[in-house]
Amino acid sequence: MNAYAASRLHSAPVARRELRVEGLSKVFTARRGSVVTAVDDVSFRVLPGEVCALLGPSGCGKSTVLRMVAGLEQPSDGSIVLSGREVTGPGRDRGLVFQSYTCFPWLTVRENVAYGLKVTGSTLALREGTVDYFLERVKLTPFADRYPDELSGGMRQRVAIARTLANGPDLLLMDEPFGALDSETRWQMQRLLLDVVRREGMSVLIVTHDVDEALYLADKIVCLSRHPGRVRDILMPPAEKPDEPEALYSAPAFVRLRSGILRMLREEGATAPLGETP
Amino acid sequence: MTSSLPATALPDRARQDTRWRTPLFDFQRTLSWRGRVALGVLAWGLFLAAWQMLARAGIAPEQLFPAPTDVFSALYRLLTEQQFLSDIRASLTRILISFAIAASLAVPLGVLMGAFPVVAAFGNALVSPFRYLPAPSFIPLLLMWLGTGEAQKIALLCLGVVWFLITLVMDNTRAVRVDLIETAKTLGATRRATLWTVVVPAALPAIVDTLRQMLAVSWTYLVIAEIVAATDGIGAMMMRARRFVRVDDIMAGILVIGLLGLLLDLLFRALHWWVFPYLRQRRQ
Repeated sequence: MNAYAASRLHSAPVARRELRVEGLSKVFTARRGSVVTAVDDVSFRVLPGEVCALLGPSGCGKSTVLRMVAGLEQPSDGSIVLSGREVTGPGRDRGLVFQSYTCFPWLTVRENVAYGLKVTGSTLALREGTVDYFLERVKLTPFADRYPDELSGGMRQRVAIARTLANGPDLLLMDEPFGALDSETRWQMQRLLLDVVRREGMSVLIVTHDVDEALYLADKIVCLSRHPGRVRDILMPPAEKPDEPEALYSAPAFVRLRSGILRMLREEGATAPLGETP
Repeated sequence: MTSSLPATALPDRARQDTRWRTPLFDFQRTLSWRGRVALGVLAWGLFLAAWQMLARAGIAPEQLFPAPTDVFSALYRLLTEQQFLSDIRASLTRILISFAIAASLAVPLGVLMGAFPVVAAFGNALVSPFRYLPAPSFIPLLLMWLGTGEAQKIALLCLGVVWFLITLVMDNTRAVRVDLIETAKTLGATRRATLWTVVVPAALPAIVDTLRQMLAVSWTYLVIAEIVAATDGIGAMMMRARRFVRVDDIMAGILVIGLLGLLLDLLFRALHWWVFPYLRQRRQ
């Protein structure tokens, strides 16, 4: 058994790593006592090894859904079950990659990637092998001893992804992870992400408002409507992904889905007058 | 990354800078290291020259308004003939001991208050009012409780800074980015581990800066502490000098306090540079 496989002994067996979200709701109480329903009766599943995108206009509560799955926010109603266990708080079985760069600036790239293994008490020998493996996967081996502030935005997100995967989660959560990157870097990162998660058989739940990102990355797209956030549609893009971003605009199967989703998003946008978006 | 490029590929900096003249008083103008030192020296030169000329002009009696050269010779006399060094040592010891005590109380308390709103709500109720009480108003109490010895002076110096330190360290800790804390949680860190491996290291650079600034405040209470029933220390020397109208000695005392303060400030900056290597080369 190699070091990386050993580090994942705590994870659930691959076949059982299913996320089941049932009737999830979130109600916020605003300052003046008025009640806002951000998420209303959302249900979906993420199967083992599946990449699922939560897509919707801004303010549809997709990030709130993700934060509830991560255990950082309490649901008002409904249940979240991962690998047969009810979610009752944050845990290492659900690693979250934020849009903002969350590398720890006082640690080197290597120490950042090792962080989760270190705080959960993995032995040093185990840690080193796993860290090297994931540094290699996200192509950061030459930068292992740099500090995050010396790196570009795309590299910092690769550190965050490697750090989360090295911890051996059952489910990788991502909150618009490439939103702050330029389009070419974003494309490269999406390709790299698919490459890494396919190899590990990792289940992914990714929040995005970018239709092309959802179409390219996801096996399943959960489309949310706005005010309140409800599941409007669940779509399955073709499993065969193009090699070039341009192909997303020309392959007939993608073109049909893409225009369908864009129409839906425009309808959602029209339901709320401009300026109401937070 | 520019550092990996050959030197010839870099633009000729000197030539580029003379394309057009940057106005001398431009907003947010960048200054070279040499330029800054030269301006600093110029400021001090002008200040001392003006002082010297005013003192020698005979507007005020020389005994009450000595020239800088008189102050320097007074300082030399104090150091060589009147055991001023032991006064300096006494003052410095008081500052360092009292500040160490204040910091070892305030840093853990401030971090806990900044990290946990429950602790802050409890602690702030006590700390906030104390911040508004002037430390010297405790002198009569301290004299009765602790007598006229070292303990009384150290207690006064502690009281002068500890409340502000707690509040400032709390603010430093509260400013730690929430997403860093949440990242640690989703990586499986316990609350104790999150406090030690994320909250503390994230807040530490700001806390060290706070300590540096509050050490300067500590000096302001030193003279007050040494006016009351003290036989040694820089403040006591200055009070003695007042009795004999030695204005030059008093000014020499002020000069030494300023220089020591500056020295400690530089030491703190060096510590900051040394302990936080990742803050040295920020990406532009």
